[in-house]
Amino acid sequence: MSAVERSPPLLRLRDIRKTLPTGRQLLDIEALDIHAGGCLLLTGPNGVGKTTLLKIISGLEPPDHALVDYRGTSLAWPAARRRYRRDVIYLHQQAYLFDRSVMENVTYGLHHGFRLSRAQIGERVERALELCGLSHLAGRNARELSGGEKQRVALTRALVLSPRVLLLDEPFAGLDDESRNRTGFLIQRLKSEQVGMVVTSHELLPLAGIADEHLELRAGQLVAPTRTVPRANPARRPRNNETHGHVAYFDMKVGDETG
Amino acid sequence: MDGIGEATLRALHLLVAGDAALWNIIGVSFRVSVSAILISAPVAVVLAFLLAYARFPVRLPLISTLQSLQSIPTVVVGLLVYMLLSRRGLFGDLHLLFTQTAMVIGQIVIAFLFVVPMAHGVLAAADRRAWETARTLGAPPWRAMLTVLTELRFGLLAVAIAAFARIVTEVGTSIMVGGNIENFTRNIPTAIALETSKGEFAQGIALGLVLLVLALLLNVFLGMLQGKGEMR
Repeated sequence: MSAVERSPPLLRLRDIRKTLPTGRQLLDIEALDIHAGGCLLLTGPNGVGKTTLLKIISGLEPPDHALVDYRGTSLAWPAARRRYRRDVIYLHQQAYLFDRSVMENVTYGLHHGFRLSRAQIGERVERALELCGLSHLAGRNARELSGGEKQRVALTRALVLSPRVLLLDEPFAGLDDESRNRTGFLIQRLKSEQVGMVVTSHELLPLAGIADEHLELRAGQLVAPTRTVPRANPARRPRNNETHGHVAYFDMKVGDETG
Repeated sequence: MDGIGEATLRALHLLVAGDAALWNIIGVSFRVSVSAILISAPVAVVLAFLLAYARFPVRLPLISTLQSLQSIPTVVVGLLVYMLLSRRGLFGDLHLLFTQTAMVIGQIVIAFLFVVPMAHGVLAAADRRAWETARTLGAPPWRAMLTVLTELRFGLLAVAIAAFARIVTEVGTSIMVGGNIENFTRNIPTAIALETSKGEFAQGIALGLVLLVLALLLNVFLGMLQGKGEMR
């Protein structure tokens, strides 16, 4: 479809198999590619295994079998996980925020393996909070925030770590229009920074102009989708250096007209 | 009735006047039980965490066993520790029987068996996303564990306080492995038992009052913790 797709993938998982304790085969996927700067939209009915798939990719849940190609090596899942899990972050459908301040939440991951000075951490966190419009909430306890704010803190907490791959589980579920726009803007921004993404969503509109590949998980396999993402008008599609707060909103409007 | 009123007055007098023997007994109780809880609770909580989050073969039978041992009679623990520490026992050479150390060991066992299943309950019912979030943000397993335990600090502290209340008031183990030696291993419960049997109610009532006040304070503290936990 685009130049992004022709380059070799950043992360490729092959032969992903997962059986439930009940014996039902949940996943049997031949291959899944994640490209730098690519956004793969994953749809499918509830309970089909989308969350399990994202958790397997992120290293949180073990598959029965999976091979991982990452940065020139091909390894079985358990060994690969150690190599790549630092670069991959999974975000829950409903963000889990630690019972501490927003600032401490965003700082959390920077304490593990980053070797930054206190000042560097502070600077990085502040910049991230500003980018995500959360500076005014920095001192608040994260548990007191609204759903949309929580979602944004979770995204900020992930992007401050500069991940290579981000796995977003229903990032738009239960959000109001404004939060949806802000989340869409952040996703767009991460994409422009060459972060590879897999997004599951029941809502396609907010991803118009962002998702560049769409697959549906059906009976444990990845297939062509029955429903497609409304296309953003290519002529008016923003380039990477033009991303700003109105992007998602703008695209959604376009999508409304054409889809 | 007159006897009880008089004895209570004398008890208050003993407490306020700073009666050395009385405060020594209180000191023994606290030294022993605080040491026991500080040693056993952290280990018990880590084991509870592993039982709730790790997957290993004997996990489920181990959980059931520990759950049934939760309300083990303290005299049974006393018996076991006695057998281990007595001269012909496995650790007889250490000469620990009838010392405060023996009492601490006994109470460690009681507190441990109490905390593991209770803390396991707290951890098993908790939101697993805490662990997943910590891990996906790059925390190594031990740091993720500390994060989860910190998230559940109110519930776990409540368990530790309940365990403390259990060991600071128990008589069975203390009297069997401590021996109720004056100025050495005599603690509040063993002293109450002894004084009462001698017909000396004043000291017994004074010590009883200390335990009651302690129970009240711990309860108020627990209530405050739960209030704090609920606000979130």
